[in-house]
Amino acid sequence: MNLEPVSVALKLGFLVVLYLFLLWVVRSALKDLRRAQPSADAAYVEEAPPADATAMHSAADDMLGDHVGGGEPRLVVEHAAGHPDGIAYDLSSGATLGRGNVEIRLEDPFASSQHARIERQGGVLVLEDLGSTNGTFLNEEQLRGIQPLHHGDRIRIGDSEFSYLQD
Amino acid sequence: MSARNRELLGLIPASLLVTAGFAAVFIERGSLSQNELSDLSLTYGLIFLGLCLGAHIFLRIALPYADPYLFPLVAVLACFGLVMIYRIDDTLARQQAQWFVVGLLLFAATIVFLRDYRKLEQYRYVIAAASLALLCLPRLPVIGAQVNGAYLGIRIPGVMVFQPTEFAKLGIVIFLASYLRDTRQVLVVGARRVLGVTLPPLKHFAPLLLVWGMAMLLLIVIRDLGSSLMFFGAFLALLYVATNRFSFVFIGLLLFGIGAWYLGTHVSHVTDRVDVWLDPLNPARYGNEGYQIANSLFAQADGGLLGRGFGGALLETPNGFPLLPARETDLIYALIVNELGLVGAAALLIVYLMFVERGFKTALLARDSFSTLLAVGLAAVFALQVFVIVGGVTNVIPLTGVTLPFVSYGGSSILANFVLLALLLLVSDKARRPA
Repeated sequence: MNLEPVSVALKLGFLVVLYLFLLWVVRSALKDLRRAQPSADAAYVEEAPPADATAMHSAADDMLGDHVGGGEPRLVVEHAAGHPDGIAYDLSSGATLGRGNVEIRLEDPFASSQHARIERQGGVLVLEDLGSTNGTFLNEEQLRGIQPLHHGDRIRIGDSEFSYLQD
Repeated sequence: MSARNRELLGLIPASLLVTAGFAAVFIERGSLSQNELSDLSLTYGLIFLGLCLGAHIFLRIALPYADPYLFPLVAVLACFGLVMIYRIDDTLARQQAQWFVVGLLLFAATIVFLRDYRKLEQYRYVIAAASLALLCLPRLPVIGAQVNGAYLGIRIPGVMVFQPTEFAKLGIVIFLASYLRDTRQVLVVGARRVLGVTLPPLKHFAPLLLVWGMAMLLLIVIRDLGSSLMFFGAFLALLYVATNRFSFVFIGLLLFGIGAWYLGTHVSHVTDRVDVWLDPLNPARYGNEGYQIANSLFAQADGGLLGRGFGGALLETPNGFPLLPARETDLIYALIVNELGLVGAAALLIVYLMFVERGFKTALLARDSFSTLLAVGLAAVFALQVFVIVGGVTNVIPLTGVTLPFVSYGGSSILANFVLLALLLLVSDKARRPA
């Protein structure tokens, strides 16, 4: 029996299965690319916080955060490129952290240009991630939404670490 | 669909490919009846599927969140390798299959014992020293083995010729990732601008230069250009990712250019390779040092668009003289192009490309810098290895003997690359694990 057609069919079949497999893998890579798009844009577009955020937190800030009261809120550098260790930044009027033109400049390749913001809401200071690409970590937990700050909290962005003090 | 179910789905085409490949090789040999044919190729396909399933179930338990595409991609590469080597020689294919089993065991062992791969950071200087020592070994008398002017192997009698560069590449990537994690900030902050070029501070850069210099020196000693390109390329990739400074890469390329020029003009067997590369079809060289590359180009041209089919390429002249020297190791890519054509070869390269893409993706997802740098380094060294050998075989760069990962015949290459895969999966599992 002549097996040559079978042999050719097998070769073509091999190539077809191979390309279908590759199509399947490439599709997932494309999906990743599309998903990455909006978040990358968001890192550079600074938006005002959602309207309800302030209301929600000022209503419940008694339970959420330490009242600043007479204390002096400040951000102390644990280690961050471009900042001497141990230096403290005054936070009484809030501050934005990021790689761009902001109050506390980070020379960290993992930081976005407008990475995170600390601001006073009611009697407490809150930390908010501004849609950064790599996230902000509060006490080694990724920040979700707006979180109030407590004395001794640790804030990490990329490899830069700060602690929040108010006494 | 969960990550592990995706992985399971991806293994099905891989085993179909093995079955189809083996069936085609059997038919081309024409020595078997039809029943035997379908039985035997199905058996090979099933054994392959069984091994992959074993590894898959292990991953399901050990690394449930790891990237689902890396392992099926490797399975497809392995299938290319097994079918091609079987088509060249049955005994070699059996040995290759045994190495795959050993490789899978080492893969599992790596995952079990390095669950917390970040403890590798504590041993970075030991790892760096061990890698450099490994690179030295082939130059020692008795155990060292010289192949075509390069000292690449260590003879372990009765078992194999062990190729230390394959493992040294892992060690050097681990060292660089861990060292750069600590110093990348200082490298950037302390940088000064001299004549418009940003120079890193010597205090922190010197250890890197030292390791690089040692590796280069060793490579002059063992005389292998391909591996030096691999190591140095990975070094520059890591440096760039760690510091985001192109000027460092520029300085590195300059240094590499000087090193390559020196090797190309002063070390005789490298000079030969460069001459052959510049003029591969020169009739004066065809009989000796140009034979390999010229025949590699002929074989690839013979493949055309769709190739000659499995078993269709001519391997020997009628009087038994080999047409493609080192066809199961260095030149296996030329044989694949000959039998599967441009279409098949492009598919093989896309498989490698996707593997590297998954590696970089893992690096992007990783949450700490050591993991990011490790994944980048491993993906880069893997990509460069493919570039060095495919580039060599297609005469883009001078041909040097490194293996085509997971495809070429060779124990140390398979073992080392399975460890590389295990490390990537470990990083990926940690990165994708929901907090």
